[in-house]
Amino acid sequence: MTTDSMQHGNLYERHEWKHSTKVAGVPWKNPVATASGTFQYAAVRWFYDVSQLGAVTTKGVSPVPWEGNPGIRTAEGPSSNINAVGLQNPGVDHYLEDDLPKLKAINATVIANVAGHCDDDYAEVVAKLDDSPADMLEINVSCPNVSAGGMSVGTDPVALSRLITRLRRITDKKMIVKLTPNVTDITVPARAAVESGADALSLINTLLGMRINIRTGEPVITHVTGGVSGPAVLPVGLAAVWRVRTALPGIPIIGIGGIDSGEKALEYLYAGANAVEVGAAALFEPTAPLRVARELDDLLDTRPELADKLAGGETWR
Amino acid sequence: MTTATFTPTVAEATQAGFFPSRHTVEIVDNRKLTDGVYRLTFRDEYIAGHARPAQFVDVYSNDPTRLMPRPFGVAEVNGDEVSLMFAVVGKGTAEFARLQAGDTVRVMGPLGNSFNTKEPANYVLVAGGLGVPPLVRAAQAIAGTPGATSTAVFGYRNVHFGDEYVGRYADSVYSIDESEGNVITLLDRISDELMNGELKPAILSCGPLPMMKAVAAWAAKHGIECQLSLEQRMGCGYGTCVLCTVDTLDGRLKVCSDGPVFTRERLGWGE
Repeated sequence: MTTDSMQHGNLYERHEWKHSTKVAGVPWKNPVATASGTFQYAAVRWFYDVSQLGAVTTKGVSPVPWEGNPGIRTAEGPSSNINAVGLQNPGVDHYLEDDLPKLKAINATVIANVAGHCDDDYAEVVAKLDDSPADMLEINVSCPNVSAGGMSVGTDPVALSRLITRLRRITDKKMIVKLTPNVTDITVPARAAVESGADALSLINTLLGMRINIRTGEPVITHVTGGVSGPAVLPVGLAAVWRVRTALPGIPIIGIGGIDSGEKALEYLYAGANAVEVGAAALFEPTAPLRVARELDDLLDTRPELADKLAGGETWR
Repeated sequence: MTTATFTPTVAEATQAGFFPSRHTVEIVDNRKLTDGVYRLTFRDEYIAGHARPAQFVDVYSNDPTRLMPRPFGVAEVNGDEVSLMFAVVGKGTAEFARLQAGDTVRVMGPLGNSFNTKEPANYVLVAGGLGVPPLVRAAQAIAGTPGATSTAVFGYRNVHFGDEYVGRYADSVYSIDESEGNVITLLDRISDELMNGELKPAILSCGPLPMMKAVAAWAAKHGIECQLSLEQRMGCGYGTCVLCTVDTLDGRLKVCSDGPVFTRERLGWGE
């Protein structure tokens, strides 16, 4: 039996990483993390040792359990997946008692993704996580599948500034703001987040999309629209990272969108990212994040100038 | 520089407590059972050695623009060969219908929970259409369980494509198609026999949603235990993406990893 990931080495033994990175001063073993919404420890732990990743970004947590959207939540697009989960999660208290201690017990670097329907929701979750062993926080102001909060905040620079300013007063933990590509100019919310106290930016979240069933003439997904992710969005993510890097030199950036190989991760690093997150690839290949990390580790051997910059917390451009 | 030299065997991976991710297998047979319905057989030691009734396998397209896996319930296991049955419903399944012996395809599994077939009972296997495959596998497992028997009750649109396969393992087979009625027609016809048999009856069911709800109601009316294997449009198949949910009395659960099997009581059906 040959698995896709085993072609690139043994995922069952601890790997000595050659190339690390730093995101807002936080050291990562390597520049590859999971993307929020595609990682549940209880499901992924059967496939590989997740503590080997640069970081794991856990699913968005809200103050109380959320049930998410009813009905059909997914459709397929060309080289892509469309999801409309709606941030179903068991709530921050469960996260603090269950997922987080389990991940810290195996020495994983953990980015806790924070969701909310309103500013008070975000503030409540951040206050609870501030007193936790989470290594970094990622503020989700970019989910396209919730009726309030999420993308409605991330597309409005005034609302975004108000939220991030408030959260900054609550926590000293390194705070990443995850941005949506569903705007005319992504550098506008990027600048609003940084000027309000964000330590880093992650981009992009999913693109708004849908499919229609031509037998019925109706949308495939019950929620009508969802978020598009997968290899199809790679060029969109790269352009977003490039533009934000150009507009905001020095701000740490985590590049996300369509990464399913070391080569594609490398493109993001050359665009100016400090690190990357692998999302949809894990939905069709559970070990994809670790495979990407291994491939990138080898690719950086022949690029010492880039590897040195990343290890020092700097970026290519 | 790390070199890629170590490939764990199935036994080593299992012993290490890890699950084999997506991997490549060889097709040994693919045959048309009726218009648009196929029985695909591939060789895989791990899945053959582990697949329990109602567990499913994710099959991945060889077309790089179609990324999401298609989940199919395991229909039969023979030695190291695994058989699936599926209907062509779109471009992905049309591609699988064209696979031939010697071709390769990527798979992952077995996934999900399974029917409990360990009790001494007469398992009544109630299936409709493409709900048939997991119940063929259930009949196969029950045939190896001392003190248990099985009675297949299958409903089809027209061609009775699963009878030959379930007939290899089930103690009795009843089937019907839309020209005569449905599985409830059959259950009513044999209910005296089931209720008065030596072993207590227990229903295992898979099929279209309205059929399964009717089966759950029939089970409730007769006071019979009922396990239902659900279908839902899925993403990853292994519990990470939360795309395939069902509303239960325990909240909104994942069909792929909390299921696909749920009891009638847990679903709150047939009350």
